[in-house]
Amino acid sequence: MPITVLAALVAFGIAGIAVLTVLFGFNKRRSFIDADDAGRAWLREFPDLEPRDITLSQDGCHALVQTDQGAGIVWSMGADSAARLLTGARVKQSTEGLDIRLRDYTAPRIRAALTPDQQTIWLNRIKDTP
Amino acid sequence: MTDMLTYPDVVQLAVPFFIAAILIELLWIVIKKRGGRYETRDAVTSLIMGAGNVVSGILLGFIAWGFFMVLWGITPLDLGTSWWVVALCFVLDDLRYYWVHRFGHRIRWVWASHVNHHSSQHYNLTTALRQTWTGTFTFMMIIRAPLILLGFHPAMVLFCGGLNLIYQFWIHTEAIGRMPRWFEAVMNTPSHHRVHHGRNPRYLDANYAGVFIIWDKMFGTFVPEDDKEKVDFGLVHNLGTFNPLRVAFHEWIGIFKDVTQPGISWKDRFSYAFAPPGWSHDGSRQTSEMIKERHNRANKSASGS
Repeated sequence: MPITVLAALVAFGIAGIAVLTVLFGFNKRRSFIDADDAGRAWLREFPDLEPRDITLSQDGCHALVQTDQGAGIVWSMGADSAARLLTGARVKQSTEGLDIRLRDYTAPRIRAALTPDQQTIWLNRIKDTP
Repeated sequence: MTDMLTYPDVVQLAVPFFIAAILIELLWIVIKKRGGRYETRDAVTSLIMGAGNVVSGILLGFIAWGFFMVLWGITPLDLGTSWWVVALCFVLDDLRYYWVHRFGHRIRWVWASHVNHHSSQHYNLTTALRQTWTGTFTFMMIIRAPLILLGFHPAMVLFCGGLNLIYQFWIHTEAIGRMPRWFEAVMNTPSHHRVHHGRNPRYLDANYAGVFIIWDKMFGTFVPEDDKEKVDFGLVHNLGTFNPLRVAFHEWIGIFKDVTQPGISWKDRFSYAFAPPGWSHDGSRQTSEMIKERHNRANKSASGS
């Protein structure tokens, strides 16, 4: 197969499939129903680290948890979820929420939508994590 | 000795079929409202990884090909090109695939290349195309050396490898439950391969087969899909990014960081590169064996109490 035909096929194939998934509504981000839902998502990644004091973000896409090893965050990855401890995290405030940078190549940046009040609570809790 | 032998590049020829099959699976899920899940960013990442794998093959394929042609120049054996030789080559190359795949899960250096294939939390036909960009650097082409030294032409071996890859495409789906019993007994199927993609402790490091599931049954790595335990797809620690560059290189970066950390012995450095994934010098991480052991212990004590 000529390389130009292959390249066109691949490019249009990827674009076409992406457009179709959007049209079918498969681009919707998961939102945690409640704290229990976020807690289950946390335990899926850290089964031995019980989450406490789970606080959901405004849009329900992020949740801050407290554990014996400090604060952690669980967030929606598309339709699914990921979670990390916030050890060594750098946090910046913005008008929309918190911009969290982790020293983790597999999860470098998390942006949580939070009200100003929530931001204060989250910042205080993250501050205590080593 | 046959030096100039050509076979079609079956993987490239199969690209239109891959796209058509993905569209059919997608429509099936939409219409039937079952049979799997799709998510835009996950699917696009998988497809970009697939495209990158083709590009990497075009750019770096000459390394493996050069190595194979050197071996072909050395060996006095030439089995020719009759159909039974191709068939035998296909079966033996599938055995080769089993071991390369097993090494891919048990040696971190090889896992660094293979991990991206397991990095999706979805299991659909796009996941099949989430392929490595760095396979050449694992040097697993060495495992093909015996085939060429036995007299199978390198072009034939690569042709059979391509057919193997195409076979494995269709088994990356939740749309198919189980195949007829005789087929499940001999062949790799969606059910067997779902287990392979599972992050549940009981499903870790199982079902390495490419085409024939008999290798797993022979070498003790077969685990059947348990209807009572739904497969949870993805990695033990799932990625927090859809960036294809991070998906492709994250484990290599991890190896580099671990190997170059101060205050550990040379043995530790070696182990960070070549021991099973999850190994650590201070026991702060868990290998799949440790995860399984803990799970089994917990289950035993739960059923005993």
